[in-house]
Amino acid sequence: MQTTNTSVIARRVKISDAHATLPYEAGWATEAVIFVQAEGDHPDLAIAVEVSPDGITWVRRAGATLAASQQLVDVPVAQFGNWLRVVITGATSEQPARVLVHLNLKG
Amino acid sequence: MTKEREISMQKFLSYDRGLERFNPLARVICYDDFDTGFNGWLDLTPNYVEENYESFDSVVDLSSWAPNQLSSASMRFASSHGSMEGTYSLKITTAPTGGPHTEPPRNGSMGHAIKRLSRFGNPKLIQIEAWYSYTPVQDREGKGEEDIRAIGFFFDVQDSEYRYMPGVRYVNSLGGKLVKKWQYYQVSEGVTPEDWNFGVKDGWCVPGVDNQWYGRRFEDGSGDGYQWLPGGEQELVYNESPDKINWMYFRLTVDIEKREYVEMQSGDQVFDMRGIKPTLTEGYASIDNLINPIFFIETDSERSVNLYLDSVVYSVE
Repeated sequence: MQTTNTSVIARRVKISDAHATLPYEAGWATEAVIFVQAEGDHPDLAIAVEVSPDGITWVRRAGATLAASQQLVDVPVAQFGNWLRVVITGATSEQPARVLVHLNLKG
Repeated sequence: MTKEREISMQKFLSYDRGLERFNPLARVICYDDFDTGFNGWLDLTPNYVEENYESFDSVVDLSSWAPNQLSSASMRFASSHGSMEGTYSLKITTAPTGGPHTEPPRNGSMGHAIKRLSRFGNPKLIQIEAWYSYTPVQDREGKGEEDIRAIGFFFDVQDSEYRYMPGVRYVNSLGGKLVKKWQYYQVSEGVTPEDWNFGVKDGWCVPGVDNQWYGRRFEDGSGDGYQWLPGGEQELVYNESPDKINWMYFRLTVDIEKREYVEMQSGDQVFDMRGIKPTLTEGYASIDNLINPIFFIETDSERSVNLYLDSVVYSVE
């Protein structure tokens, strides 16, 4: 039987600038789905999933947009190595957002 | 008249060889090797039971703690460390948000792993053991030992009368200066609920509950919720670089019949804690018989720090 786990990597965080989640080690899993939700009003948010050799330096792997009219978007990734993080841009002090990010892993 | 047969199962237990590096009490309730998954150890979060799923008012943001991970202890320049035996350990981490040690913990500046259990087997003693290591993220030059403020462990216990939290904290560094002394959970005389909750009146937590966040902290590292353990100076192994970790042994035994500490063991050093009592508080609603073990780590600077648990044993007697 496979193992699965869901971590909440941004727990209702209020953002008004670019926001990166903490480096996350996911090397035990072979697939990941990142779910980004916004609570309440928010601007269009650009979602970038990044990978890393060491949890310190990062390169973009996948992306999506959470439009102002949407509440939830998902981004699947595979062959990501060990490290994952999510960078969310688009929030400003005039148009902030409150985000909830789940990382589901399976492998 | 036939003799009534006594019905009892004869048990023959074969323990996992991995238990050889532990000294469990008579009955092992959990042996958690993180090569097999999270084993029920999860992030510590508050109760989202208010309007709009909000939590209660608190000076410390209890939603902000960093997510636990199954780690291969992958480093920047070294190869992956793996774990003490196997590949994965449970990594408890922090955000790079350490503030002054005299202030309440900042958002994300701690990480915790909790397992939610309950009393079983009518035990007199409960005990936690772990093999662990710690190091900061190697995101800057230098040795980095001074960036780890503290690591700790406590039980959250409630019986039919009291809730209490016996625990210990290794104060590694304060304001960038190494300290390396153990404390234990016990509230100082005269601490009021308002002191405990950093000025919030009618705070959810009473003195003696959640010492890891609440209670004032002072310049010398003492605090409302922590007392220095007599003879508690100890040099733990911090290797010469952030990308080198060594596995160390930890054990805490508590007498839940007498509601007092028994012993803490760190490496081969045993600290006799008999006679020392954690602070008893009135029981909270609907959690009688709760026993939650919790590990945590705190950063002392604007740098993430990691606590790795290779494996954990919870046993009772």
